[in-house]
Amino acid sequence: MKIGLYICTCGTNISDKVDSEKLIAEVTSQFPDSYGATVEFICSAEGKSFFSEHLVANRPDRVVVAACSPREYESTFMQLVSEAGINPYFLQFVNIREQVAWVTPDPEQATRKATIAIRSAMARVLHQQPLEKTEMEASPDVLVIGAGPAGLQSALFLAEAGRKVVLVEKAPVIGGMPVLFEELFPAMECGPCLLEPVEAEVLHGDHAHNIELLLQSEIAEVTGYYGNFNVKIQQTPRYVDPMCIGCGECVEACPASTTNKFNCDMDQKKAIAIPFLGALPNLPYIDWASCLRSKGEDCQLCSDACPVPGAVCFDDKERVLDRNVGAIIVAVGSQLYDCRKLGNLGYGEVPDVYTSLEFERIAAANGPTAGEIKTSAGRAPESMAIVHCVGSLDPAHQPHCSGICCEYAFKFNRIVEHKLPGTKVYHLYKELVVAGKSDFPMLDHARKNPDASFIRFGNIAEIKVSSSDGKQAIEYRQADGQVGKLTTDMVVLCPAMVGSESSAKLASILDLSRNQAGFFDEMNGRLHAAQSTVKGIYLAGSCQAPMDIRGASTQAMAAAGYVLSGLADGKKLTIEPIVAKVDEDRCSGCRICGVVCPYKAISFDPDKHVSSVNELICHGCGTCVAACPAGAIQGNHFTNDQIFAEIEAILQ
Amino acid sequence: MTMQTQPNTESFEPKIVGFLCNWCSYAGADKAGASQTPYPPNVSVIRVMCSGRVDPQFVLEAFRKGADGVMILACHPGDCHYKEGNYRAVQRHRILLQVLEEFGIEKERCKFDYVSAGEGEKFVRVITETVSSIKALGPLRLRTPVA
Repeated sequence: MKIGLYICTCGTNISDKVDSEKLIAEVTSQFPDSYGATVEFICSAEGKSFFSEHLVANRPDRVVVAACSPREYESTFMQLVSEAGINPYFLQFVNIREQVAWVTPDPEQATRKATIAIRSAMARVLHQQPLEKTEMEASPDVLVIGAGPAGLQSALFLAEAGRKVVLVEKAPVIGGMPVLFEELFPAMECGPCLLEPVEAEVLHGDHAHNIELLLQSEIAEVTGYYGNFNVKIQQTPRYVDPMCIGCGECVEACPASTTNKFNCDMDQKKAIAIPFLGALPNLPYIDWASCLRSKGEDCQLCSDACPVPGAVCFDDKERVLDRNVGAIIVAVGSQLYDCRKLGNLGYGEVPDVYTSLEFERIAAANGPTAGEIKTSAGRAPESMAIVHCVGSLDPAHQPHCSGICCEYAFKFNRIVEHKLPGTKVYHLYKELVVAGKSDFPMLDHARKNPDASFIRFGNIAEIKVSSSDGKQAIEYRQADGQVGKLTTDMVVLCPAMVGSESSAKLASILDLSRNQAGFFDEMNGRLHAAQSTVKGIYLAGSCQAPMDIRGASTQAMAAAGYVLSGLADGKKLTIEPIVAKVDEDRCSGCRICGVVCPYKAISFDPDKHVSSVNELICHGCGTCVAACPAGAIQGNHFTNDQIFAEIEAILQ
Repeated sequence: MTMQTQPNTESFEPKIVGFLCNWCSYAGADKAGASQTPYPPNVSVIRVMCSGRVDPQFVLEAFRKGADGVMILACHPGDCHYKEGNYRAVQRHRILLQVLEEFGIEKERCKFDYVSAGEGEKFVRVITETVSSIKALGPLRLRTPVA
C-alpha cells in the first residue's frame, strides 16, 4: 500500500529541530511503496497547491501529514485529500511542531521523537477505513412543551420563521406563572400588560396559523430521535368549544363550586369558569370533578344560559394526538420549594403565613381579594415580615440561590408601601442578591422605605413563627448571634425555586437528567445551557435553572435558534462517520454499552437480544467501545486495530 | 518488587505511551508547545477523542510491547467534552492498577492525571515527573508475559 508522507518545515519552526530528510529516509525504508516530501509552509497557498498536485500525480492509498497540531489544520487537509479524490479518512495528521519541535531543544532527540510519531501514524494509516458522511431526512417541525413566557416566545419566534409548532400546555390557559402577577420587577410594569400582547400574537397574530395550541394537554410518550420524534399527546376535554364568545353567562349560572387553583386555593370558583379575569384564551372550561354531571346529576344550567348553541359540549372526549416533529423545546417552568418542609416557619399552621406566589395573587387585582392586601380576618396588615432564602442557601434544603426572590421581595415592599403606606415591613434574609444592570434600584428603594427594616439571620432553623392572638410571633437569632422578637399581621415566605412536578414526569418520558433540585441538566452549563443532555431536545426558561422573565425569554430564543440552525427546512441532517458500531454477531446482549453511553444513543432490541447505536445521537467518544466485554463495538476511525498498530509502532 | 536490578538512571531513557483526549489534555500539550516549554521527549502520544476510549487492553498491550510506562491524561472532573468519559477512565484505571500489580508492574508506571486545555504548565510538570519517576524505577522487566 502506497503511503504519501508530507513533512512541513513550518519555516524553520520544525526544520530547526527535526531533520526531515533523515526522517523520511528512515521511515520510508520501513514502509515499502511509501514516499516522503518536505514542504515549506504546507498551510500556505503554495504549500496546499503543491500538496494537492502531488497527491493527484502520485495517487497514494494513504496520506500522512506531519506539521502542526491537528487541532489547527486537520480538517483543512482532510478537505484537500478529499478534493484529490482520496477518502478524507485515509489521512493521518501528525503533530511535530507543538508536541515535538517546540518542546524538544535537542535536534537529535526531536528528530527521534518525530520519527516515532510519524512511524506510528504510518502504521496506523494502513488500518484506516474509508468513511462517508451520510444524510437523513428530518422534520423541521417543533414541539414546544409549556406555554409560559419561555414557551410562548420560542413558539412565536419559530412560527415567525415559518416553522410549524405544536405548543402543548397542561393548563387551560397560556402565560404561565407571571401572567398571574400584578407587577413585575425591576420596572414595576404589570404582568398581563407585558405578556398579553405575546399571548395575543400566539393566538391570533400573523403567524398564529403556524402554531397548533393544545391546552389541557400533556405528553404521554415520545419515541424516535433528533429529526424524527414521534409524540403522543393526551388532551383532557374542555367541554367548551372555541366557538364560545367568552361572555361568562355560563359561569353565572353554574351552581357548583370548587377551590380555585389559579388563586392558590385561597378562594372558590365555579365548576365552569374562566381561569381568571383576563385569562387567554378567553374561554371557560369545566372542571369535571366538581361538575354536577360528573356526579350523575342532569344539570345543564351552563348550557341553558349560553347564548351560542353548541358552545358548551358535554360530550367532549379525551383525545390522544400523534405528532411528528424534528426537535423538542422543553419549557415547563419551575415551582416553589415546599414551605411545609420548614415547619418552624408555620406555613399551613399559623394563619396569614403565605408563600410568595400566594401573596402575588393577594396583591393582584384579579386575585381572591381583588388586589386588597388584607389578613384572613379582613384587616389591612399594619406589619409584615418577608422571609427571604426559605430553603435556599441551605444544605438541609436546597443549596442554590434562586437569584430572583430578593427582587420580588423588594417588589412586595414597594407594593405594600404604595397600597398600605405606613405598614412596617421586616425583611429577614440570609443573603441579599440583586445582580444585573437594572436591578439594584429595587433594593435601594426598599432601603429608603422608612418603614422597612432588614434583619440578617444565620440559620433559618433559628426562626420560629407561632400564632399569637391572631398575629404571628416571630422569634429569631441574627447572624451576629443577637436574638429578637417581632409581632406581625402577615408573613410572606420566599422559597427556593425548584424543578416542577411536570419536569419530573417529562424527565422520564424524554430520558433527560435533572440535578438534585429538579432542574434539567444541560449539555454544557456555559456554552450550551439551552441544550439538554439529549440531542434535539432543548431547554428554555426556569425548568433549566431559576430565572426571571428576561432570562427565560433569552433562553427561549437560544433554544429556537438551535432548531433554526440545526433543522433547516429541506435540509437533511448530516451523520458524522466517527461513531460507534455494534457487530450484532458478537454482541452478547449484556447492555453494558447502554449504561456507559452518556448520550443514551444505544438501544436494545429484545427480540434479537442485541444492542445498537443510533448514529445520529452518537457523539463518537468511544466509551462504549472500551467497555464492551465482547469486543463487539467498533469505534470508527479509532478502532482497536488502528490503536494497537500505533502502540506497536511506537514501541518497535 | 525484587526482580529488578538497580537501574542506571543516568543513561536509561524510558519509553512511555501517552493516551491523550482530544479536547482537554491534547490541547494542554499543544499549550505547552505554544509556550515552548521544554520537557523530556520520552512520551509518545496517541490521541483519542475521549479518555473513556482508553481500553485497558491498550495499556496491557503497551507494557507487553515494551513500554516502561503508560500515561492516561483526561479532562478534569466535570469538564469532559462527552460529559462523563473521564469518570469511566478513572474507574478503569483504578481497577487496572490492581491487575498490573498482579503482573508485578508498579503502579507508578501507569499514571492517570487530569490536564485541562489551558494547563500547558501542568502538562509539562506531569510529563516531567512521570518520566523521572519511571527513570527511577528502571526498565520494566516482566515476570511473565502479559497475555
